[in-house]
Amino acid sequence: MSARIKKAVTLCIVFIQAFLLNACSITQFNHLSPAQLAQQGDFVQAKQNVIKSYSKTGNDRLLYHLEMASLFHLEKNYLASNEQLAIAITLIESFYTQSVSELALVQLSGPTYSTYKGKAFYLPQIHIMKALNYNALAKLSSDNAQYYYDAALVEMRQLDVFLNQLKEQSGGYNTEQDNDFLAKNVYQILKPIFAPTDLLENIDYKDDAFAHFLSGVLFEQSAEWDSARLQYERAMFMYENGFAKQYQLPEQISEQARSGLIRVMRKAGGYENELRALKPTNTGETTQSANVTLVQNIGIAPKRKQLNLMLRANSESKALVMTPILLGNYKERQAQMRWFQMLHADTSLFDIMQNYMLGDLGDVAMGALTKRLPLGPLWDDAVKLGIVDALQFGARISVTYLEPLDNQVTHSEVWLNGQPLTTLLPYHSVSLLTLQDALKQANAEIHAALSREIIKALSARKALDKVGFEQNNLLGNLAKLTTSVVNAITASADTRQWQTLPAEIRVAQVSLPQGEHDVIIKTYFRSGHIIEQSEHITANNVMSLWHTRTFANAPSEQAALTNSTLNME
Amino acid sequence: MKYNRKLLKLVPFAVISTLALSACQSTKVQRIDANQEVALSDKWNGKDSQLVSEAMISDMLSFPWVNDHLKKEGTRPAIIIQSIRNKSHQHIAVDTFLNDLKRAILRSGQADFVANKEIREEIRDERKDQELNASLETQNEMGQEQGADYALSGTINSFVDQQGGTRVTFYQVDLRLIDMTSNREVWNGQKKIQKLQERSGYGF
Repeated sequence: MSARIKKAVTLCIVFIQAFLLNACSITQFNHLSPAQLAQQGDFVQAKQNVIKSYSKTGNDRLLYHLEMASLFHLEKNYLASNEQLAIAITLIESFYTQSVSELALVQLSGPTYSTYKGKAFYLPQIHIMKALNYNALAKLSSDNAQYYYDAALVEMRQLDVFLNQLKEQSGGYNTEQDNDFLAKNVYQILKPIFAPTDLLENIDYKDDAFAHFLSGVLFEQSAEWDSARLQYERAMFMYENGFAKQYQLPEQISEQARSGLIRVMRKAGGYENELRALKPTNTGETTQSANVTLVQNIGIAPKRKQLNLMLRANSESKALVMTPILLGNYKERQAQMRWFQMLHADTSLFDIMQNYMLGDLGDVAMGALTKRLPLGPLWDDAVKLGIVDALQFGARISVTYLEPLDNQVTHSEVWLNGQPLTTLLPYHSVSLLTLQDALKQANAEIHAALSREIIKALSARKALDKVGFEQNNLLGNLAKLTTSVVNAITASADTRQWQTLPAEIRVAQVSLPQGEHDVIIKTYFRSGHIIEQSEHITANNVMSLWHTRTFANAPSEQAALTNSTLNME
Repeated sequence: MKYNRKLLKLVPFAVISTLALSACQSTKVQRIDANQEVALSDKWNGKDSQLVSEAMISDMLSFPWVNDHLKKEGTRPAIIIQSIRNKSHQHIAVDTFLNDLKRAILRSGQADFVANKEIREEIRDERKDQELNASLETQNEMGQEQGADYALSGTINSFVDQQGGTRVTFYQVDLRLIDMTSNREVWNGQKKIQKLQERSGYGF
């Protein structure tokens, strides 16, 4: 085949692949996602969107139930929400057994062709939402209140079983993070291979301090002092031993967990020595005051998006080279480049030295724009295996990246009788949890994507050879082009996620006179916008839990409506 | 010849595909005995409810309080169920368990049950309605209700121990019967159930 024809075919491939990459960058949701629609208060459209996008029986069935549960929860249809969440829990349990045939299918297609199994941190969020739903139902139904309060505690016990197992696997927060010498030493050895900065240090999801705190509140509400004491104690130690630092939460929250611990120890009685050790301060509580816990879920967690890379075999430096292909608007392209540079690019001293040793001086300078995997002596094996030939026209690698976090809230306050009462403090950052999970998975994901695409390219090439397209002519190249394009189509990254999760969870514990009160939650945004949500709450003699959801981008008409109720139970 | 060889190579693939497809079957439903246990997980199920209620009631009626009451009052004791709190980690249909308890006691013929507060109020409303609308011969009088002699209450607790795919779940049901006149605890019963669940990490 003449050089001109070969060049034309190559150009044609690059054009088609670029076109496909562009097409693949479109998300499943053609317009607004369920989370965005829910943010605007359009729950009907949001549910229709979920029904259209996910099947109850398909690979995305878990997301169908999770998104529906969130939407029902926001609509205050708590029973329907819990039905969906119960199905989601059953599904997650069934996913424990991995299907070997599905794993094989993923290897020959892509992760989007597999069943979506969710993230480890989804299960605590499911139990928390279920418990909040039961708590709200108890407040709405005086006849079945006890049954619903007990049901909320069942959720907390199930969550405890899960968190105990997680803690056993991860080590939890039993000691301060800095004392974890073994983990630190292992990290120091692996650091140059993985990431150029301290980005991946202490980002494991090891336990959930907020879940323990909320559990303490619910047990206290049901006057189960022993269980409440254990949960507050766990929350306090975890916030102190690294949870607050990992999720960038204020130091005061461990003090609030300590206050809860002291309160339930006093109520239970018999903890005089322990109370002396905790050095309680005067909280201003009187025998006539009642405790109220307000939980505010704010915004929506950041989106997972797709980052495309072109994989080629470079015979000069005997290496596989990945180059990012930036798509989307300016912000998205910038985010894609930062993600690539942060996690994958040859920017560490180790990578720069490696490129220099290979004599590829150009790549020493270009390191920030490429990821080079030098094969060295393995290059000849790669040629024999056909990898180099299979990558003749390049292959598309797709991985996920997380859109940059956008915390629009400056602070939020609880107001009573026209006066500010207290500030709602951040108790958990689901945004950072999502980001850290994405960072943690990034390297494994790119390695899996890389090996998957090489296997696909090799299999396609072998199939072509079998049917007689091994010739290096126009027909042969067109056949190679076709397989390359087919592989590019199936190479999509797995950007599936539970989109309606909140970005941040804020909590305030206040002591109020027993009886009924009208409280207002004021949320202040960086834009200067203030959202006010008010509700009539009852403070009893034990503890009462109330929750609300605040959306940052709620339209102004809806923000005005929140003066009556948005979703506070 | 070349194409025949290619076809031969495709045969095993075709056979495996056919077998794999034939393994897939659509939803199948069959009718089974309600007493037959179908344990799909280690969760509390209908069989647990039935076994615990039968064992508890059998134990309860073997205690001396039944004969003591018969000797003293000359009538069968009347029991009211106060509350059975679910303090386990599983959602348990307590009403189903209570109904199993009632059936086991009534079947024994040694004790009676008094309706709970909500049902009593419904019946009283019905009697009030009868006073206005029913004929004198068929009316039921107010103030003739039977008071309960004993109150039954209890809790369901559970513990879970888990390691990888193996999980041991332990349920403990505690019930007590209180003499409503003297507050004496005339019976205290306990039934334990332990379940082992093993799950495989990989499957087809």
